[in-house]
Amino acid sequence: MSSLLEKHIVELLHERNEKAISLLYEHYGDTLYGVAFKVVRDSELAQDVLQESFVKIWKKSDSYDSSKAKLFTWLFRITRNTAIDKLRSVNTKSDKEIQIDISDVYNLGIDSIRPEFMDVKENMEKIEHKYHVVLDALFFQGMTQQEASDELNIPLGTIKSRLKIGLRELKKIYGNSMILLPLLTLMS
Amino acid sequence: MKEKIRIFLDTDLLEKYLLGTTTLEESMQVERYIAMYPEVRKTYDELQANLETFAKLYALKTPEGLKAKILNRVKAQNTGRRKFQRYAIAASIAALLFAGSSYFFWNQNQNLQDENVIVNNKIRTLEEDMKEQLEDVRNQFIVLNNPQTKKYAVNGNKKAKELKAVAYINPVKKLSYINVRSLPNLPDNQCYQMWAEVNGEMVNLGVIKNVDDKDHLRPLPYAENAVGYITIEPQGGNDTPTVQNIVANISY
Repeated sequence: MSSLLEKHIVELLHERNEKAISLLYEHYGDTLYGVAFKVVRDSELAQDVLQESFVKIWKKSDSYDSSKAKLFTWLFRITRNTAIDKLRSVNTKSDKEIQIDISDVYNLGIDSIRPEFMDVKENMEKIEHKYHVVLDALFFQGMTQQEASDELNIPLGTIKSRLKIGLRELKKIYGNSMILLPLLTLMS
Repeated sequence: MKEKIRIFLDTDLLEKYLLGTTTLEESMQVERYIAMYPEVRKTYDELQANLETFAKLYALKTPEGLKAKILNRVKAQNTGRRKFQRYAIAASIAALLFAGSSYFFWNQNQNLQDENVIVNNKIRTLEEDMKEQLEDVRNQFIVLNNPQTKKYAVNGNKKAKELKAVAYINPVKKLSYINVRSLPNLPDNQCYQMWAEVNGEMVNLGVIKNVDDKDHLRPLPYAENAVGYITIEPQGGNDTPTVQNIVANISY
């Protein structure tokens, strides 16, 4: 996402111009839908989550502060938290029918990668599984580090270091494709 | 200072902040660190970039029709908001109008109450006046119409030869009146004043302003062997009669 476009969208949001939602959907829709799906693991629920998230984004658009977070970070927070809340409400209804299965989550994530990101997928596999699991648990499952430690049976200190290293690895691997990726998104 | 930053980065506060799961206090602390230390800022920016990259790995094609649904919901939200705003404005105007008219009516009510008090007082005064006058007229009628009433013609002495008055005295009803019919003109700084000596006391009966109303009967206080006087006094009347200026007297 070019920062120019990001700036434009933020301006539209602050002006409460509905065009902002259309642009956000075009440029972040797929990623946010992926985030929602990754959390709730059901396409119907994920669609509900995305609808609710966009309504929240629209309602809270006055409160977005670009000095505190990038636009994507803000969008991610809203979508992720909406998805986690949704999952919790569904889980309480179905008495925790949906269990967190790490390997399943991992596979789903990989399987649902878009074809245009095939090179990304290859890179993805380069991130060691152990880091990936931690990132997944924290980013998408709404676990705290303590919860991830308990769930994955990994000491808290290891969770912390894997999170840091995992994020750093990500950067190392995408050193070049980080520049490529936004271009891909724009073309999509 | 470096140590402090390292300790901060070792905690997971920055990561928690990235995901929006910090408490309000934690957020304030993180924002302070980001603002103060460029290294923290840099790490935070990296985390944000990594998060975006990581999240994009999971991008999924959104289903057909979802965009339209979302845009419709946002639009509905907007009309709802606009509708609410319109209602809010209408309600505010209504409230203002109500407040305005309430004040107006309250004010009017207050004025009307004041006016009511004034009118009531006027009516009471008029009633009293009327009663007094009616009583006076009734007494005059009794005096004039009573066969026992004695009529005395009063003439001025040499100081006021033109003075002519008629006194009506009724010893049975104990009523007495005087009708001053003509008075000689006086300089501007003098006036006629009436007195009555009743039971050895001198009673001031007031200044005779004019004799235009020739049919007006002035009541006199009644007593056995009373004497009425008319004197010339300085303009505005006097507290005690000036004996040498007596122009007429009536014994009754």
